[in-house]
Amino acid sequence: MDNFEKYIKENKALFDVHKADKNKLWANIESGLNKPESKTKTIKLWHTPLFKVAATIVIALGLFSLINVLVVNNINTNSLNSLAEQELNDIDSHYKGLVAYQVKLVNKSTQLSSEEKKEFLSFMVELDLEYELLKVELQKNVDSERVLEAIVINYKKRIELIENLLQQLNSSKKLDNDDVYTL
Amino acid sequence: METNILYTHKSLVEESKLGDRNAQYKLYELYVDAMYNVSMRMMHVKEDAEDVVQDSFIEAFNNLSSFRYESTFGSWLKRIVINKSINQLKKKKIPIVPIENQMYHIKEDTEDIPPEVDIRKIISGIRLLPSGYQQIINLYLVEGYDHIEISEILGITSSTSKSQYHRAKKKLVEIVKTL
Repeated sequence: MDNFEKYIKENKALFDVHKADKNKLWANIESGLNKPESKTKTIKLWHTPLFKVAATIVIALGLFSLINVLVVNNINTNSLNSLAEQELNDIDSHYKGLVAYQVKLVNKSTQLSSEEKKEFLSFMVELDLEYELLKVELQKNVDSERVLEAIVINYKKRIELIENLLQQLNSSKKLDNDDVYTL
Repeated sequence: METNILYTHKSLVEESKLGDRNAQYKLYELYVDAMYNVSMRMMHVKEDAEDVVQDSFIEAFNNLSSFRYESTFGSWLKRIVINKSINQLKKKKIPIVPIENQMYHIKEDTEDIPPEVDIRKIISGIRLLPSGYQQIINLYLVEGYDHIEISEILGITSSTSKSQYHRAKKKLVEIVKTL
């Protein structure tokens, strides 16, 4: 850079010899400016395409999971209920026959007075009531496995009772017979 | 230091970005005279220079969001003023690029540099140059652009910018000596 250039660059400020008509220019500038935005700039998230996509996904997922929960639950309870009922049917058909047969035997027995029969059968009625309660319990679907277990125990108790009774009857018969023989 | 310079008037610029009219006016007040002088050097006509300055400020404020402190606000604004001035000159069909004068060869010998002359003489000397020479002298010497920047502004090669500048300067020195 030669002296001439240096001299000009050093005195650049002196080249600004004009003064602008500030007010006149500003009036024209202001009319051309965009309307001022609100001071707090709001970023409209819901206007961005990304947000729209995200919202759609969220809504779709929400709907899907809701439907999923409802349907699967329904299927589950249905299958659970039907499973429990089927099992109950199996138990019923097995034990009901046994109990009915043995009750018949008791009724037929000639060695028992009608009083004794009544007393014995009242036990059976109690167990029947318990059985009905358990059946209702099973409908509530609390813990079907345990309820079914209880129903089986209920049946077994009846059978046990009847068996005991019949055994006692039989043994007394034998004793009687022995007596006869000894006599 | 350099980054500090880039962020000159940062708070005013940021407020102006949000459309704060007061901040915009303060920025305008700070830069209007400088920009008006830049435009006057290019356009020479008061009304034309005012039009350029007005349009430049409107464009600057309306597009301030695209200003990212890669330069100072002042030089960003000045570039808008320069570009608008060049466009106006093109519309008026005033030659913005120095005329190629193949017949006239300048001797690249040492120039006769005048001792510290009055700046006013230099200013009027520039005004007496052909318009193409005026632009290149103004852009290089007064506005402080380098030849690469000038080549972008005027749409010429930087070597053309260099050679034309040297011719313009020689002519200017000759003129100043006669004043």
